[in-house]
Parts: sequence; C-alpha cells; structure tokens
Amino acid sequence: MLIELQDVTKIYNQGQANEVKALDRINLTIPSGSLMCLRGASGSGKSTLLAVIGCVFPPTSGRATIAGKLLSRLPDRFLTMHRRQFIGFIFQQFNILPELNVLDNVTLPLLPVGISPRERRKRGLRLLEQFAIAHRRNFAANQISGGELQRVAIARALINDPPIILADEPTAHLDTRLSEEFMKIISGLKEVGKTIVITSHDPLVTENSAVERIVDIRDGRLHA
Amino acid sequence: MFLNSWSLALTLCSAIVFILTAIAARTAVRVLRFWDPASDDTRQIGLESETWLASTLVEYGLGFQIISLVLFALAANHFCSFLTGAMCATGALKANAYGMPTLLIKLAGVFVYGFWIVLHRLDISSESYPLVRLKYGYLVLLLPLLVGDISLQSLYIAHLKPDIVTSCCAVVFSKTASDGHNLLGSFSQASVLQSFYGTATGLAALGLFLHKRWQASLAWLYAGAWAWFLGLSLVAVIAVFSSYIYAMPFHHCPFCILKPEYSYIGFALYGTLLPAAFFGMAGAMIDPLRHRPGLAASVPNFQKMALGVSLFLLVVFVTLTSYHLLLYRLLGGES
Repeated sequence: MLIELQDVTKIYNQGQANEVKALDRINLTIPSGSLMCLRGASGSGKSTLLAVIGCVFPPTSGRATIAGKLLSRLPDRFLTMHRRQFIGFIFQQFNILPELNVLDNVTLPLLPVGISPRERRKRGLRLLEQFAIAHRRNFAANQISGGELQRVAIARALINDPPIILADEPTAHLDTRLSEEFMKIISGLKEVGKTIVITSHDPLVTENSAVERIVDIRDGRLHA
Repeated sequence: MFLNSWSLALTLCSAIVFILTAIAARTAVRVLRFWDPASDDTRQIGLESETWLASTLVEYGLGFQIISLVLFALAANHFCSFLTGAMCATGALKANAYGMPTLLIKLAGVFVYGFWIVLHRLDISSESYPLVRLKYGYLVLLLPLLVGDISLQSLYIAHLKPDIVTSCCAVVFSKTASDGHNLLGSFSQASVLQSFYGTATGLAALGLFLHKRWQASLAWLYAGAWAWFLGLSLVAVIAVFSSYIYAMPFHHCPFCILKPEYSYIGFALYGTLLPAAFFGMAGAMIDPLRHRPGLAASVPNFQKMALGVSLFLLVVFVTLTSYHLLLYRLLGGES
C-alpha cells in the first residue's frame, strides 16, 4: 500500500477574513508496511494532514492517492466505501461511545458494511482476545480502564482489517506505561504489514525503535 | 387569477423549482467552461463538490416538475367547478389560450426532465463523474422548456376568469363537432383497436427479444415503437376506451376518467402509459453511453431495468384499458 500526496494544499474558510492555510503544497510518499511519525507543535497542520490522508475531507488543491487510486477526489458515496476498506482511525480521545458495550464499540464499523450479527460478534471477539480484553466485552465503555479503552480503540480501527492505520496523537492522554504498551501494539501491527501514520510530539512515540521515519511539520510545510 | 389552494400550491412550487434550477444553472455554466477532471487545482476540486449539491437540487426540482403534471391535472379538475360551462378538466384547460399548451409542455417535460434524471443517476453511479459535462450541457438546453413550463402555467392560472363561458368536453371531444374545437377528429374504432393491440403485441415481442439479446438497432426500433404507441394509446383512450369506461357511446373525454365517479381510473391509465413510454425510450437513448469509462456496467443494468419496467407497465396498461371493453363485449354490459 502506498500513500502519495502531491502538492496538497488545504485552506480553511477560503476567501473569508478568517482564512487559514493549514497545509501548503505538501509532497509526501509513504511506502507500504512502514511506520511514520508526523511531528509538530499544536496548530502546525499535522492533524489536517492526517485527515487529508484519511480522506476525511478533500484538499483544496493537489491530490492524495492511496494504492494508485485518487481517493481524495471520489464522490462521497464511493469515498466512504473505500475509506472503510482502506483506513482505520485511532483518535486522540479514542471516541468510544459510552452508551455501547466494549464488543459493540469494536464491531460498530462493520454495521454499514452489511455483515451478519453472528460474523460481527465472531470478528469482534477474535480481536478482543488478541488484545486480552475479551473478558470485558459486555462492560460499558465508561466502566473500563484507560489502557483497556485504548485497546478497544485499536481493535475498532482494525475490525475491517484495513491496510492503513492513522493515529492522531494517540498517547496524548496516556501515562508512560500505557504509551509504551500502545507502541508495542503498533509495532506488532507494523510487523504484520500494516502501514501506520502517527501524529505525535511525544518522545515515547517519536523515539520508539519501530518508527522508521519522522517528518516534521511546521506552519503547514514539511521538514524531513 | 384564482386565489385558491391549488393555484397557490402550483405557483409556489414552480417558483421553488425555478429558484433551485437557477442556482444550478450558475454551476452548469461554470462546469461547461472550466470542468477538467485531470486538473488538481482549487477550482476543479471546488466544482466537484459544487456539482454534487447542484445536481441534487436539479434532480429534486425536475422530479417535482414531473409530479406537477399530476397536480396540474388535479387542479384543472378542481377549477372546473368555478368555470361557467366547464364539466371537467377539459373545460378548465380550454378556459383560456394557455391551458392546453401548459398540459402539452408538461407532458413533454416528463420525458425531457426524466431523461436528465436518468443521466444524473448514471453519472453518480460511477466514481469518475463521466457525464458531468453532458448532463450540465443538457440542463442548459432544457432550461428554456422549464421556463416555458413555469411561465405557461403561471399565465394559465393568472388568466382564469370564472365569468367567461368555456367549452364542455362533450363538445371538444365530439365526433360530430365541426366548430373548430374538435380535438378528436374522426377515427374508425376498428382500425384504432387493430393498431393498438397490434402495436402492443409487437412491443411485447420486441421487448422480450431485447431482454434475451440486446441489440442497439432493435432498441431504437423499440424506442420508436413506444413513441408511436404513446400517441396511438392517447387516441385509443379518447376514441374507443373512454366511452366504454363511461358506458356512454358518445362521451369521449380523456379527463373525466380522472374523476372519482370513475374510480380515478384515468390516473392508473396515464400513470402506467407515461412511465412505460419513458422507460421504453430511455433504454435506447442511453445506449451511446455504454462505452464511456465507468459506465460499462451501469448502462446495461439500467437498460435491463428500463426494459423490464416498460414491459410490465405495458401489460398493466393494456389490461386496464381493455377491462371495460372486454366486460361489454363478453358480458354484454357492466357487471
């Protein structure tokens, strides 16, 4: 899997008084099976860049290609299908739904794909076992620990078996032990061939041996 | 002008459709001037998002204009109760010079607007916007028809005068009338029926053949046959079938069958005939698009669906039209 950005620019509120150029002619290639870290201060544009790679919104100009497919320019209905297939997200706050139990949170991305409830449960349990939290499957999301919450978020990102994992400041709210545990899981995912992009300025992430490449981003521009 | 709920609803809805389409027309001009799928610049990316919204607005607007034909017929039926001399929608439509042209332009609109919607649906079935230029070029071409449709309808409503005596359908659709109002002419029932059932049988046979093996030349023949059958069916309903529905040999009105006294059967007749003719023609119309990138699967799928719908509705329409006729011929009168 190859991620390729060509002259990607993202401008918020274009043409208005509060116009912000978050990304400025970004060129970036991420080879398949690599673990890359985007490092930058708050407001540097790293989350925007991650959102463009993840096709959350299109760039203002330029192209974002994934496996040779110009995902960023697909009409919404097709984009959604491809995003489900290609990309798994891990968010800074994990964005776990407190109303649902652990298993339902993990299997949530399978709902719109049309997979049967039995198959959803089977896949969800397999992942929960892999991350050693199967015993918490019926617990509400607000009844489990921070570390377990983090593993639920990772399991949810992996439930569709996407080749690309995007993580936005995943260790920002975690203590040292949990951050190290997170990087251990991420290293394992890299070993099985996943392409991983993490935004972070946490040394526990950027200095981790599994991270092959660190790209600095400042004022919407890359400094390799 | 009649300030009643029907005229206000029709005028208000037309105004909304006009505004939606006018917004989309601006996008249409920009697409025709600047659309370049190979470009990665801000304008192209912006246009891709813009066309998505504009096309949705147009689809809903044109979809409503198609439905407005039904509303217009219902409104005309309602107006007849206020107009001197009018017994049904015929009198209401003949009450001024704009009624019949409005009806005709709305009938044409079913096909013209419907075809835009088909193009749009095919376009959004592909990942690569293959028909954006074509559908927006077509939109620009159909805008005069839409403006004409809305203008004629507004003029019709504005010029309705309750104190002016209008014609009754018994006069307009009488075989013996010779005052220039006769819309029927003189048709032989036997030849109309022979042509009607002959064409219907031919259409069914050709449709079944196309269903097994699609051929572009035969699809065009099928489309042409549907255009002929549409006109022929309207004549057949007026000249033959209507009098069996009314159980009155000299009553040939195509609008009275829309009334509750006749169980609104007219809506079932026209509601099957018009979509059947549209889908019968649409399959061939889109055939040249088969080889465009991204449409290799969706065009044949649509053609198959359109063929199936047209055949099914053909059977329903022929059954509905023949019901009263057969009842008389087999049982010797109404049961």
